[in-house]
Amino acid sequence: MLKMVTPMLLAVVGLVGIFKTYVTPEMIKALFNGSMLHDMIVGVGVGAVSVGQPFVSYIIGGELLKEGASFYGVAAFILSFVTLGVVQLPMEFGIFGARFTLWRNFLSFVFSFFVAYLTVLSVEMFG
Amino acid sequence: MKRKKNNKTGLYMLGGVVFIYIGLFLFDSAKALQAVEEAFGVLKMVLPIVLVVFFLMGLVNITIDKEKISRHFGKESGMKGWFYAISAGVLSHGPAYVWYPFLQNLREHGAKDSLVFAFLYARSIKIPWIPLMVSYFGLSFTVFFSLYIVVASLLQGLVVEAFSKAKR
Repeated sequence: MLKMVTPMLLAVVGLVGIFKTYVTPEMIKALFNGSMLHDMIVGVGVGAVSVGQPFVSYIIGGELLKEGASFYGVAAFILSFVTLGVVQLPMEFGIFGARFTLWRNFLSFVFSFFVAYLTVLSVEMFG
Repeated sequence: MKRKKNNKTGLYMLGGVVFIYIGLFLFDSAKALQAVEEAFGVLKMVLPIVLVVFFLMGLVNITIDKEKISRHFGKESGMKGWFYAISAGVLSHGPAYVWYPFLQNLREHGAKDSLVFAFLYARSIKIPWIPLMVSYFGLSFTVFFSLYIVVASLLQGLVVEAFSKAKR
């Protein structure tokens, strides 16, 4: 297992380095437009391909709200930022196998919409 | 959902990433160097967690037998298994991918897939970052967000369990 995992980890770390250098928060901000459905879809998609410490997603999310992005989209973004990971997908495939990985990512994708929607709805109703 | 191991997968992945870096160097060497520095920064951050994970894997292999794993995380684990999986997910540190080898090790020792799903989703709650989340999005957002993540972890696990049963 170690023999297989060590190069995988190095590969994922290498991809994270590329992402952090070439994808800027400004590029991410440009994709949101303030509409609930559009921003939720973009939020889940952008969160899935983004990498970094969770606090990075909070900072970008806070900036997105200031710039007029929908709260639903921001919630979807910070959730998929930690639950989905396109960069680590090859490693997940390699270790867990295709069926497990596809199932996990599919369910995380679907649940990102539900959790984000219910969270913001609850805040609006009770917060 | 068990799989056949291919020891070359990691090497192919690493080779692919090295190839991408070579391409980036040819295109813009200063920016590629910046990416290498970023990667080293990430490596420095994940290395201590990787060592803990490898240590835990060794510990599981040497000291814990399949029967024990099965009792706590297997078919007989019941409510206790869900509680352990979700709590461990919330408390675990570092990026998800450093935990993959350990989780696969547990699966090979008889842990249920549904609990691994619950563990991985519960990792969305990051206790050390909660104050920052509150300061950006408010207390009620943080409370509802965390609560729904716990519920979603459980539901994801239950969906996987239901499909596994239906398949059998």
